Amino acid sequence: MTGQALVHVVVSGLATGSIYALMAISLVIIYNATRTLNFAQGEMLMISTFVGWTAWQVLHAPLVVALAVAVVAAALLGFVLERVVIRHAISATHFDVLIITLGLSLMLRSAAGVTWTHDEFPFPSFFSNRPVVAGPIRVAPISLGIIGASLALMVALGALFRWTRLGRAMRAVAQNQRAARLMGISVERVYSSSWIIASVVGAVAGVLIAPVIFLSSKMGLVAINGFTAAVLGGFGSMPGAVVGGMLLGVLENLAPLYLPASIKHSVPFLVMITILIVRPGGLLGRVARRKV
Amino acid sequence: MISRASLLLLLAVTLSALPAAAQQGVSDTEIVIGGSNSFSGPLAFTGDQITKFGVDLYVRVINDAGGIHGRKIRTVYYDDGYRPQDAVANTKKLVEQDKVFAIIIPQGSPPVVATLDYLEENKVPLLFPYQSSPVTRGKRYVLQGMTLSDRSSKMMIDYLAGQRKIKKFAALYQDDEYGKSFLTAFEKDLARFGLKLVGAESVKRGVMDVSAQVAKLQAAKPEVTFLVLVPGPGAQALKERQKIGWTDTLMVSTGPLTDERYLALAGDAAEGVEGLSLWPDPVTSDLPGVKLYREHMQRYFPKNEPNRYSIAGYFAGMLFAEGAKRAGRALTRESLLAALESFKGFESGILPPITIGPDHETQKQGFWVRVEKGRFKQLTDWLKSE
Amino acid sequence: MRHAALATVAAVVVGWPWAAPRYFVFLASLIAINAIVAIGLNLLSGYTNQLSFGHAGFLAIGAYAAAILTIRAPALPVPATLLLAGLVTAAVGLALGVPCLRLEGLYLAMATLAFGFVVVEAILNLEWLTRGNDGLRVPAARIGPWILATDTARYYLVVAVAALLIVAAVNLSRTKTGRALLAVRESEIAAQASGVNLAAYKTLAFVVSAFYTGVAGGLFALVVGFLSPDSFDVFLSVDFVAMIIVGGLGSILGSVVGAAVITALNDSLAGFQNYRPLIFGAILVTSMLFMPGGIASALRKIPGAGARPPR
Repeated sequence: MTGQALVHVVVSGLATGSIYALMAISLVIIYNATRTLNFAQGEMLMISTFVGWTAWQVLHAPLVVALAVAVVAAALLGFVLERVVIRHAISATHFDVLIITLGLSLMLRSAAGVTWTHDEFPFPSFFSNRPVVAGPIRVAPISLGIIGASLALMVALGALFRWTRLGRAMRAVAQNQRAARLMGISVERVYSSSWIIASVVGAVAGVLIAPVIFLSSKMGLVAINGFTAAVLGGFGSMPGAVVGGMLLGVLENLAPLYLPASIKHSVPFLVMITILIVRPGGLLGRVARRKV
Repeated sequence: MISRASLLLLLAVTLSALPAAAQQGVSDTEIVIGGSNSFSGPLAFTGDQITKFGVDLYVRVINDAGGIHGRKIRTVYYDDGYRPQDAVANTKKLVEQDKVFAIIIPQGSPPVVATLDYLEENKVPLLFPYQSSPVTRGKRYVLQGMTLSDRSSKMMIDYLAGQRKIKKFAALYQDDEYGKSFLTAFEKDLARFGLKLVGAESVKRGVMDVSAQVAKLQAAKPEVTFLVLVPGPGAQALKERQKIGWTDTLMVSTGPLTDERYLALAGDAAEGVEGLSLWPDPVTSDLPGVKLYREHMQRYFPKNEPNRYSIAGYFAGMLFAEGAKRAGRALTRESLLAALESFKGFESGILPPITIGPDHETQKQGFWVRVEKGRFKQLTDWLKSE
Repeated sequence: MRHAALATVAAVVVGWPWAAPRYFVFLASLIAINAIVAIGLNLLSGYTNQLSFGHAGFLAIGAYAAAILTIRAPALPVPATLLLAGLVTAAVGLALGVPCLRLEGLYLAMATLAFGFVVVEAILNLEWLTRGNDGLRVPAARIGPWILATDTARYYLVVAVAALLIVAAVNLSRTKTGRALLAVRESEIAAQASGVNLAAYKTLAFVVSAFYTGVAGGLFALVVGFLSPDSFDVFLSVDFVAMIIVGGLGSILGSVVGAAVITALNDSLAGFQNYRPLIFGAILVTSMLFMPGGIASALRKIPGAGARPPR
């Protein structure tokens, strides 16, 4: 295994990891605001990407239009689902909402199959697939592009939470919903915003990763890795989601390199279980160590 | 409420105990066939194509021409989502409730193998399952569909090691029955030439990234790398190869992978890739049967593009119809089997003349192709696997 | 009135194979198997609030254990095979439950999800035992000289075991242990304050839950007749969670009803092919919107309904 090959594999892992991080962030945004897990996150990403792709095909427009349409579709989808379905269930227990999002994920995936068939489609990329060699390092622009774009989005989100009123409102609701309401923050508005933002993040992730894993109705399954990444890093924490995602991506890639075939596929899960046993709050999570 | 509950139950029980339809799925006016297939899950696209645009396409043609000895064919399919236990339930339902005459083109080794014992016990013909593992061999009531992996492997290795004298082989294979059956077959066939695989890396279905596996295979420096995958990961492997600039290996796809979907996904990364093709090019071939297939697709399902999955289903429908025709008006399961076993040099216009022997295998051939300018170019004649 | 209801149910259950076509006897067996899993899962998730997304893993362990025993030790009578399958699974449940004691909510859910995946991988790798990807044919079970070769015979075995386990669960819920488990669900701190040994009860819930699912796994192996790693994916685990939530958390009747509804629904939708997940999903969404808390909660609201409340 040459150094060059190793670097390539790690960078490739960081690229997939960035997507996991974005998925994890979406899940955490919704969880922090509404205390619910959105099982349909992946399918929402998939539908938005499909809509963007359809627009791109029909309009023969440049690729950036696909991204724009995907983002708008995502915002709309997030808004509608939250308003029409989730809002009505929010008073019920969290488990009820879990099943509702599960049902939504099944519906979205099936609807995609009916509309576009379950076939897989090539998706154009902003970045090239051909390698770029700089001295001892060889990387593919597409990996770098995915990492760069994801980081840019994460920075933008960080800024949103830090410096905007909406961001502060969202953080307040995440900390203590009742107190936030008493302070005059519209909790409903925060719910809506969190679903919209999470959905938009998903759409960007979808447009970035579709060239690699291809556009299909089963694209949404990437969200499962998003869950794993979020828990690995410490659920509820943004930096945790990022660290968890990147770590998971790299782990998934290094395991087949060094470990025998029999356990390489289990490695991410074994690592997660081990980390949870040692640090129940995840790597960066607040360790509310239970004394049982 | 006791009474309400009991009443409902009574009603349900009565409804389900209604008089049964024709005994074996053959009535005066129709023949009922069907199968459990994937309409959701990882192989949903294939499932749709082989049934609704495959078997059903041929069935439409036959029915519009008057049916078989005055009987129309009706098909019933249930979704199993690639889950073996659902396949078992669906198959039982088809045989016991829908009273199908035969099971046609179910998909995937695990769902198919789960139903094998039941179908043999109940003497129900299992026609042309869409899977390549040899584990379905040796059953009286099973007729094989696509060329099985051991035959494919023999043709591929005989051609590459025997004719082209290649010595170093590696394999990138899917971590399931399909991948494993090919891997086992490759190892056995290579051993006949005194060779071994220099590298073999497994890939999980639905994988996001194959860079590690491809890097490891590159380090083993094989002259030929077999791809035993489905179109998605197969295309990912080709793109990965392009990404790392690994030019000194020939990528060879197995039969199930050698199709246009994989080319479409891989784009220019597929140039120069070779493989064993199990079907003539469904879009460009001039063979009379393939042209007819395209005409029929255009007539009944104009929005559906011709592809290798639907042609496989169409072919299955054709074989069934021909067998039922030969069996005559007195159609029984036994007479169907006897009729199918009587095929000698049957001209389909799609594949070479079909002779079905006691091995019950309907497809035993393939030919070599190379990708040039985004399409498969035929390099050899039909290869033999006996 | 409750006794009359029970008698009717018993009569229908016993008489079912005589009235219903063969396929529905098979389907009823599947429902009963899922009901056992649902009760087991409910014990863990509905009572002690430890939501598990890995129960397909326990099912797999029980199924393969029973299958391997039936193949390698054919002289063993079926009840013994099922018991052993349950015990093996319970042991794994213990091994998983103890480290998971410190985890809560989401983290526990993820750990169980990971567990589910690891079990399937292990099955694939222990090829010499499980035949890995090729899958395992399960021979017919026997009780003494009788071979359970028909759907009806297997049905009676399944409902007999299910009945036993349901009665055991009901009794458990009425004992001090059951009340303790419920107390844990309501508030862990309060329970601890009243002297409930949290660790012991949470572990117990894990072990019993795994035992139930393991026995169900054994029955699954015998009824379906073929095992393969593809049978036990994460979506099956999610199906089980759906059963207890739709049925109603913390309710044994809810678990049974939830299992029946989800299983029968899935079966009846198979003919809709591409639209199956669409319709199933829509039903899930609307039923949770209109029956918050699940079917058991909804039933409780009907005055005079025979549903047993969980307390």
